[in-house]
Amino acid sequence: MKGAIKHLFGNEYDSDGFRTCSITGLEVHESVENHVKLFALTAVVAMAIGGAFAITVAGTRWELLSLLPEDGYYTHLSMHAWNILIFWMVFMEIAVLYVGGPMVLGRRLPLTKVAKAGWVIMVAGAVGVNYSIWTATESGGEAPLLTAYVPLDIPWLFYATAVLFLLGATVAALPFFVTIWKEKRGAPNKTLPLVVFGAFITSIIAVEAILGGIAAFGYALIWRLGIIESVNAGLYRQLYWIVGHGTQQINLLAMITVWYFLTHVVGGAVVASEKVSRSAFILYLFFINLGAAHHLMVDPGLSAGWRIFNTSYAFYGAAFASMIHAFAIPAGLEAGRRQRGLGGGLFGWLTSAPWKSPVFSSTIFSIILFGFVGGITGVLMGQMQLNMTWHNTYATVGHFHGTVALGTTLAFWGLLFFAIKTMFRRDYASGVLASAIPYLYAATMGLAVLMMMYIGILYGVPRRISSVVENVPGSEFSLSAAEPLFFILGPATLLAVLTGALFVLVAVGSLLFGDRLGDGDDGGLLPEKGLRTDGGSVHAIEMRGTFTLCLIFLATFVALYALNWFLLVQVWQIGA
Amino acid sequence: MGGPLDEPDGNWWDNPVNRRESIWLGIAGAWSLAIFGWMSGFTRFGDQNPIGQTYEVDPDAYQQRVAAYKEEADETEEGRLLPPGDSVYVGGRRFDWDGLPVVLEAGREYDIHLGAYDVQHGFSVRPEENLSKQINLQVFPGNEWVVPMTFEEPGTYRVICNEFCGRGHNSMSGHFVVEEA
Ligand code: HEM
Ligand SMILES: [Cu+2]
Repeated sequence: MKGAIKHLFGNEYDSDGFRTCSITGLEVHESVENHVKLFALTAVVAMAIGGAFAITVAGTRWELLSLLPEDGYYTHLSMHAWNILIFWMVFMEIAVLYVGGPMVLGRRLPLTKVAKAGWVIMVAGAVGVNYSIWTATESGGEAPLLTAYVPLDIPWLFYATAVLFLLGATVAALPFFVTIWKEKRGAPNKTLPLVVFGAFITSIIAVEAILGGIAAFGYALIWRLGIIESVNAGLYRQLYWIVGHGTQQINLLAMITVWYFLTHVVGGAVVASEKVSRSAFILYLFFINLGAAHHLMVDPGLSAGWRIFNTSYAFYGAAFASMIHAFAIPAGLEAGRRQRGLGGGLFGWLTSAPWKSPVFSSTIFSIILFGFVGGITGVLMGQMQLNMTWHNTYATVGHFHGTVALGTTLAFWGLLFFAIKTMFRRDYASGVLASAIPYLYAATMGLAVLMMMYIGILYGVPRRISSVVENVPGSEFSLSAAEPLFFILGPATLLAVLTGALFVLVAVGSLLFGDRLGDGDDGGLLPEKGLRTDGGSVHAIEMRGTFTLCLIFLATFVALYALNWFLLVQVWQIGA
Repeated sequence: MGGPLDEPDGNWWDNPVNRRESIWLGIAGAWSLAIFGWMSGFTRFGDQNPIGQTYEVDPDAYQQRVAAYKEEADETEEGRLLPPGDSVYVGGRRFDWDGLPVVLEAGREYDIHLGAYDVQHGFSVRPEENLSKQINLQVFPGNEWVVPMTFEEPGTYRVICNEFCGRGHNSMSGHFVVEEA
């Protein structure tokens, strides 16, 4: 055991504890690297647990299999949601902060004891949440699902340990803030590199989300403990969604930061315009939090003006920001590769890219699928009236698997594939499998997500239910018309889980049995002609490939927008 | 040079922006404003808006209100309610919809009162023979939401609860019938 751990954490450092990364050229300190590994490995464990529950969840929703009865279904669904959406993502995000802060800046990780304490508290919180979900129904209560809506009979321990986890994440983020503070104190006029800037904005948004979460779960907790007599369902929803959606904003910003990072280190991307990309992050800072309101579009008690202003992030300030990144990131890749003379024509820069590298393909699939699938549908269902047709249907599940399960998960897999070579210094246990995984996952999960959306919008199949297609218990009615589509969805979901398992297998296999990479070996990751171009002004380089891709994106967006509104206006008259 | 891991050189703010990137900024900005304008305008000219009066009401008081309404309503042979006026009351409770089934006249505007007695529920409605015409509204204890609706097409409309409301949620469904006047 000890040997295995030493083996995972055992790189050679100089007498000051630094080593030079053979790919990025960064000066990496032992303290940063080891903590990044600790959080990333914990994240993978959470993903594996949450992913295992995806089997029973998906196998129940495919009512042909009906794996679980109703009782167990909610418990399993809660386990899936908390382990994979919260624990997998948040542990990874702490790792992303440590990469985006001290690692890129070439500093030590300050307050390592605090970082470890944060990890311990997070793990304790996560174990507590798992325990209270697993035992909720035995003690006569209800499983919380992701949202733990009051006034359901959810164990107080659940709310308490959820708060504990959030506190732990705050503690774990402290060393990052101290890093930024030290960097700025040392040189107040220096500009932070773009990746650090992105990580910094991510961390601010994370703090806002966590405060909302502590308020929501704290409110429910004092009600469960009998300290207050009654609880207001509408108020809880507003507080809850500050964290419920806030964590998704952390996922988004962390993912975009990872996109800038990985397209650069394996694809040779440059920054198309510092001004434009940074302004987009600033727009997020101001507006993205308002978007949490899009979960309340069909709630009573909120004025239409309030809903429209907030769901649109104030006139779509944050959607605009995302469309800016949607251009800036591929444009950076196009410019960087054209500068090196890699690939001519409209798309030569893209077709000549290292598609066999799972780091590269994960990143690109993440960008494309997040944008086309998760992003567009998010804006659609966030329109107040369209939300009536999406709310709590299976299409919603399709939307957020498009964002987090396709987009963010693939980006983080890319980062892990990168870390296996650069931080763990191992070659992949199987290069062929490693190359295939992003393709398999993008295909199966992509198909599953599309099916979920059709099933939700065209057949009104609800989410969070174990029996509705073959039969609605106690009713002669059912949604059986949707059944044929489940013959595509069911297998696609199961194959997606299988690909997830394959990922874990290859990742763990590489860490344990992969060939050790020698000093200076880049493991084939570096882009052709090196990481740095010889300069010249980026803005003057052709970006017509990216421009074309963005126009295709816009055309898709407009078409889906029109289609959704067309469907809505078929419905009977509703509303004052 | 010029990577996202480096400190940007010199006065980076004043570096010109690529022409196509500037055009895209314009397009994206215009599209953002356009979809805002449509959503906001649709509340004025559109026929499908999740908008209606809301009142704060104690869940028990709401349950009594629904009971009083049912008292006043006639019943058909099949045991369906005939609303006494333009108001139709529906109360979500584990695990059925109080106030359903009800018979409505096609083409007549009703005030649908939505509320819940215990936990949150989801009011998810579709005509039986056309599943893609479906809409979903959130219902929770403490609020009475009055949403006007006019059903033009006769037929049976199915209501499913689409917010998790506890073990038993699977079986929470109801229906109403729209008949030619
Ligand atoms: C391996 C592939 C995956 C499959 C097959 C899968 C499948 C599903 C299914 C069928 C549902 C339940 C639908 C319902 O009854 O409402 C669900 C819910 C959910 N999934 Fe996944 N999922 C996968 C991966 C992920 C990932 C990677 C994430 C997040 C990063 C995620 C986050 C969620 C969340 C948040 C819910 C909602 C839980 C709730 O309603 O409370 N899933 N998933
Ligand atoms: Cu219900």
